[in-house]
Amino acid sequence: MALNITPSSIVDRDISIELQQQVQSSIDLRSPLLIRGGDSKLFYGRDPVETSNILELKNHTGIINYDPTELVVTVRAGTRLLDLELLLEKNQQILSFEPPMFNQQSTIGGVVAAGISGPRRAFSGSIRDAILGVEMINGDGKIVKFGGEVMKNVAGYDMSRLMVRSMGTLGVILNLSLRVMPKPEKEISLILDATQGEGLAYCKQWRTQHLPLSATSWYRGKLYLRLSGSDITIDAALKKLSQQMSFEFLEDDIFFWQSIRNQQHAFFNKVSKPLWRLSLPINTPVMARFEGDLLLEGGGTQRWVSNNAAEKIIRAVVGRHGGYATLFNGQKHLPGVAPFPILAPELHKLQKNLKRKLDPQNIFNPGRLYRDI
Amino acid sequence: MKTNLLDSIKQTKDGQLADSILRKCVHCGFCNATCPTYQILGDENEGPRGRIYLIKQVLEGAEVSNATRDHLDRCLTCRNCETTCPSGVQYASLLEIGKKHIEESTERPFKEHFVRDALLNTLPYRRRFKFFLRVGRSFSLFLPKALRSKIPAKVAKGKWSRAQHSRRMLVLDGCVQPVLSPDINSATSRVLDKLGITLVNIKKAGCCGAVSQHLNKEKDAQTMMKHNIDAWWPEIEAGAEAIVTTASGCGLMIKDYAQYLQDDPEYAEKARFISTLCKDIAEIIALEDYSALATTAPKTISWHPPCTLQHGQKVTGVVEKILIDCGYQLNPIKDAHLCCGSAGTYSILQPELSSQLGDNKIANLEKDKPEMIVTANIGCQTHLQERTKTPVKHWVHLLLDR
Amino acid sequence: MNSEPESRNNILLALREILPEKYLLTAKEDLKPYECDGMPAYQRIPIAVALPSTIEEVQKIIRACESQRIPVVARGAGTGLSGGALPHEGGIILGLSRFNTIIDIDHENMTMRVQPGVRNLAISEAAAPYGLYYAPDPSSQIACTIGGNVAENAGGVHCLKYGLTVHNILEVKIITVEGDLVTLGSMTLDTPGYDLLALMTGSEGMLGIIVEVVVKLLPRPLATNVLMASFDAVEDAANAVAIVISKGIIPAGLEMMDNLAIKAAEDFANAGYPVDAEAILLCELDGAEEHLAEQVNIVMVALGEANASNVVMANSEQEKAQLWAGRKAAFPAVGRISPDYYCMDGTIPRKRIAEVLVEIKALSEKYGLRVANVFHAGDGNLHPLILFDAGIDGELEKAEHFGGDILELCVKMGGTITGEHGVGFEKLDQMCVQFNPDELTHFHNIKHAFDPYELLNPGKVIPTLHRCAEVGAMHVHNGELPHADIPRF
Repeated sequence: MALNITPSSIVDRDISIELQQQVQSSIDLRSPLLIRGGDSKLFYGRDPVETSNILELKNHTGIINYDPTELVVTVRAGTRLLDLELLLEKNQQILSFEPPMFNQQSTIGGVVAAGISGPRRAFSGSIRDAILGVEMINGDGKIVKFGGEVMKNVAGYDMSRLMVRSMGTLGVILNLSLRVMPKPEKEISLILDATQGEGLAYCKQWRTQHLPLSATSWYRGKLYLRLSGSDITIDAALKKLSQQMSFEFLEDDIFFWQSIRNQQHAFFNKVSKPLWRLSLPINTPVMARFEGDLLLEGGGTQRWVSNNAAEKIIRAVVGRHGGYATLFNGQKHLPGVAPFPILAPELHKLQKNLKRKLDPQNIFNPGRLYRDI
Repeated sequence: MKTNLLDSIKQTKDGQLADSILRKCVHCGFCNATCPTYQILGDENEGPRGRIYLIKQVLEGAEVSNATRDHLDRCLTCRNCETTCPSGVQYASLLEIGKKHIEESTERPFKEHFVRDALLNTLPYRRRFKFFLRVGRSFSLFLPKALRSKIPAKVAKGKWSRAQHSRRMLVLDGCVQPVLSPDINSATSRVLDKLGITLVNIKKAGCCGAVSQHLNKEKDAQTMMKHNIDAWWPEIEAGAEAIVTTASGCGLMIKDYAQYLQDDPEYAEKARFISTLCKDIAEIIALEDYSALATTAPKTISWHPPCTLQHGQKVTGVVEKILIDCGYQLNPIKDAHLCCGSAGTYSILQPELSSQLGDNKIANLEKDKPEMIVTANIGCQTHLQERTKTPVKHWVHLLLDR
Repeated sequence: MNSEPESRNNILLALREILPEKYLLTAKEDLKPYECDGMPAYQRIPIAVALPSTIEEVQKIIRACESQRIPVVARGAGTGLSGGALPHEGGIILGLSRFNTIIDIDHENMTMRVQPGVRNLAISEAAAPYGLYYAPDPSSQIACTIGGNVAENAGGVHCLKYGLTVHNILEVKIITVEGDLVTLGSMTLDTPGYDLLALMTGSEGMLGIIVEVVVKLLPRPLATNVLMASFDAVEDAANAVAIVISKGIIPAGLEMMDNLAIKAAEDFANAGYPVDAEAILLCELDGAEEHLAEQVNIVMVALGEANASNVVMANSEQEKAQLWAGRKAAFPAVGRISPDYYCMDGTIPRKRIAEVLVEIKALSEKYGLRVANVFHAGDGNLHPLILFDAGIDGELEKAEHFGGDILELCVKMGGTITGEHGVGFEKLDQMCVQFNPDELTHFHNIKHAFDPYELLNPGKVIPTLHRCAEVGAMHVHNGELPHADIPRF
C-alpha cells in the first residue's frame, strides 16, 4: 500500500553514507559545516558560518514509509516540502502545522531545523507537536535514530523534538517521521471590518466557542478567519458567527492564506525595514507602541511588526507582555543585532552545555542560533 | 502484593484476614488521593498505602516503634480510601488488626494512657458523661481554652411522639448524643409518626461500642454489643421492623456487629440479624412516601455527609434526594468526600489535624452562605458547630420545619 | 557514589539544617513505605526522605546533595508503573507531595500555574468553573501529580486527539543539579533557543527537579458521546480501530479491553460491560452537537463493517461516566482476580494490533501466565497485564521474562517499549534492544550536559553499555550477537 502512492517527482535516493563520511571527516578536521537544504531560510537566524565545507541535503530524498491509515509519514530530510505536500494531498491528508515555503526548493529537513509553523499552528499545533522521530548524524559522526512512527513513545530523551528549531546546530537530520492529519473536507474564509482591538476581542470570544477555526489574521482594519471541517460543522459555525457580527466571504482565500504562510502578502514586501516576529501570550491586548504597520496571526499570539524602532525598545515592550521578539528578517538593516532573544544566564548555560556535549567539535552550523551555540 | 507474614500470625484468624487483604493491594496509590491526612502532611506514612505497608511490616515481624503507632493513630478511619480503592482492599479491617498488634507490642506514654482511659471511662456511659458535661458547663471558665470550645450549649429535649402505630421500630439512643443533642431522636420520633411508624427507645440499651473498639478495647466493646442485643431482643421478637440510627457512626458500628461477633457461639446468629435490621434514618425514610414532609419554608442548606455514612455505610445521595424532594436547595460543596476531622475521639486525641480538617470543611460548607448546615452524626455536628455561628443540626429537623 | 555511614551522617546533618524534623524521615520504619512506587516488584531503602515545601528548600537540598555527591530521586505521588521513583540506596528521596498549591488560574489565557504536587484531576476540577479542563488524563489521574506527569510525559485515554503532556504544557520551572532555578518554555507559542521544555518532558527526573508547571487548558467539549462495541473475536476489535481511523475520524478516545479485563473492571465499576464478549472497544467522540451526530453515524457504520456483535451508546452523563469508570480502574481492578500483575506499555503501529495480540496469546500459553489486555487502541499503546502471584517462587521472574518478550515484540513490529509509563528501572534491559550503543551514548551525553556527576535519579532510563552487553548475551537475535564491539565480562 505504501510506495505505489509516491509521486514520480520524488526521487528515492539515500545518500546517508556519503553524508556521514563528510561529517566524519569534518569532525576529524574540526572543520565547521554549513548544513544546507533548499536555502529558503538563509536569512533566518544568525549568519551561517563562512566556509566552503557545505553539507548538501537536497539529494537525500524519498518517502521511506507512508501508510495513510497510520497517519504517519517517514521521509528523507532533503525531500522538498512541495513534493511531500502533493503526496499528502493525493491521500486527502495534510501537514497540520502548515510550514512556510519561502521557495519551492524548501526541504522538510529545513522545515524541522528552523521550526517555523504557519497560520494553522495556533489551532492545530506546531512542528514540534507533529514530529515523531528522527534519524540523524550526531556529533560522534554516528547515525542514530530516536523516536519512531508511533504516536506515543517515551523511551529515552525526546531527541526528535529537540531537533525542531535547533537550526542544525545539534546534528544532521537524515530522515524524519511526522504525524499527518486528515485534510478538512471543506475550508472557507471570512473577512470583516474590525479595529485591532475589536479583532483581538473577537478572537478571544471565539476561543471558547468551539468553532472550527483554522487560521485568523488581522491587517489594516480587516479581520480574516478560516473555517475548516465538514459541511455540517461549517454551516453551524456560520450560523453562530452571523449572530455575532456581519461578515463577507473571502474570495481567493487559498491564495490569501498562502500569502500569509509564505510571506508573499503585501505586508511582508517592504524590504526597506526590518521585520520582527513577536510571540505573545494569547490574551495580550493591543500593544500601544506598535500601532503602526503590523499583521496579526493566530488570534494575536503571533504579531509581525515592520518598523525601525530600536531593538531595545521592541524587546522591552514585548517582554513586559510576557513575550519574545525575534528579528525575523532584515539583519542587513540592523547589523550586529542578535536575531533571537537573549536567554536568562542559567538557561543559556544549559543550552551551551548541551551543544558542547552533543557537538564536541563544534562543527554543526556553529553560531547559527547564538554566538556560542 | 506479596506477603510474608510471621507463621505465628498467619495461623490466627486475624492473620488470615490480614493476609488476604494485603494480597489484594496492588500499591497503585489511588487511596492517598482522597486521604485527608495525606493531603495535609504529604508523607507516604500518613496515607493508607503507607499505613498498609507499615502494618505489613508489623505482621511480618519487623521491629516497630512508637513512630508506626503514631502514624496509625493519625488515621481518621474515615474509610474514604475504601471508596476510592479499585482493588477492593478492606483497609479499616486491616487497620484494626494492625493497631491491635502494635498496641500489644509498644508502650504508650503515661499522658496518652490517661487521656485514652478518661475517654473510655466517660463517653460510653451516658450518666458519667452527663455529669462531666454539667460540671464542665458550670466551671467552663476554669477549663483550658481548647477544651472550653468543645462544650456545646445545652439543647432542649423536644417532645417524643406518643402516638401508637402498628409499625414499630427501635432507635439506638446511644451515649453521647442523648446528652449533647437529645432533640434529634425526639424529632425522629415525630417524623416517623407522620409516616405511620412508632419509634421505641429501649432505655436499657447504651453505647454501641464504637469508642472502645476504636481505642483497641475489643473486650469492652463486645460487652456493650451483647448488652444492647439483649436489651433489644424482646422487642425484635415482638416484631420491631428495624433498628434506626440517627448517628451514622453508631449505625456503622451496629451494621458491623455481625462481623465482630461472628465467632461468638451464643451471639453470632443474633448479631447477624441485628446488623441486617440496622438502618440509618435516611434509608428508612427513603422507602416511605414522604411527600407529607415537604417544607413550606424552603431554605438553602449545606449538607455534610459524615464519613461513616458515605464511606462506611455507603449510603450516598439518599439524604440529598430526600431534602431536595422536600423542597430544600442544597449548595454544591467542594471536597464533600473529605472528613471533617471529628472522627469519634480523634478530635480530642489529634487536635491539630482535626482542627485543620474542621476549618477546611467549614470553609467549604459556608462558601455559598447557607442558612443552615445539616449532617447525620453527632460528632460531626458538634465539631462543626464549634467553628461557626451558622446553626449545625441533624437533617431530620428539616423534615419538621413547616 | 558513596554510601558509607560517614557520608550518610554528613548529608543528614546538612538536611537537618534545611528541614524541620517531621519533614525529614530517617527512621528505618518510616523509610520502608518509600521503598517502591506503583511498581512494587523493585524495592530499595533510601538514606532519607526529604519533604520540602518551598523552592528555596529544594535548592538547598540539591546543593547539599550535589556538594556531597549524594544521589537524589524525585518522587511525586509514587504512582509510576516503571519504578522511576525507586530509591537509590546511597541517596535520598525528594518528595514533592507538599508542593500541592494551585498558584494561579488564568482563564483568559487558558492556563493554570501549579506546583508539581498538584494532582492531575485537581487541575481539571479547579478549571471546571470556567468551562475549561486539562486534557491529558492518565488512568491514575485521581492520584498522580502533574510533576510526575511531566517527568513521564504521561498520556491517557484522550491523547489520540488531544496529545500527551508535552503537547499540553507551556512552561516548567526546574532546579538544576547545581541548584539554579531555570524556566523552560514560556507563556507564548515560541520560546527562543533549544526546546528544553520538550527535552525535560519525559526525562524521568534525570535532568532536573520540576518545581512549577504551567499547563494549557482547553474549553470543555460541547458534547461528547461514548460508544461501546462488543466483539466475538479480539482480532475483529483490533481491525475495527484501523477502520474507524481510515474514515477520517479522530476519536477523542479509543480504548480496547479483552475478556479478562472486562470481567475485572465490571466487578469493580458495574459499568454494564458485556462479560461474555471477547473484546470491547470504547469510543469517545466529541465536538459541536451537529458534528457529533455526523461522527457517531460514521463510527457506527465502521464498527458494523468490523463485525461488532453489538454497539451501545451512552445516553446520559452518568452512563458515560460509568462506561469510563470501568476502564479507568481496570488496572487495579485486576487486583481482584490476581494477587499481582505486571503492566506492560509497548506501542505498535495500529495496523499490527491484531497480529501482536495473537503473539501475546501464544506467549501467554508458553509461560503459563494469564494476560489481561487493556489499552489505548487508537494510538497503538498496549497495556497487557500479566497476572501472577509473587508468593509463588519463580512467578515474578517468569512474568518479567514474559514482559520482556512482549516489549521486544513491540520493537520488532516497528514500535517502542514504552508509550507512556516510562523506562524507569523496569525497562532498562529492553532499552538495549531498542537502542544501539551509539544511541545510548548519545543519551548519556544529554544526561551529562545537565548532570555531569549523575546524581539525579541515577541508574534509570538509560542503561550502561556494560549492562547491555550482559543483556545481549542473553538475547541473541537471528544468531547475531548484538553490541559485539563492547567488552563482555
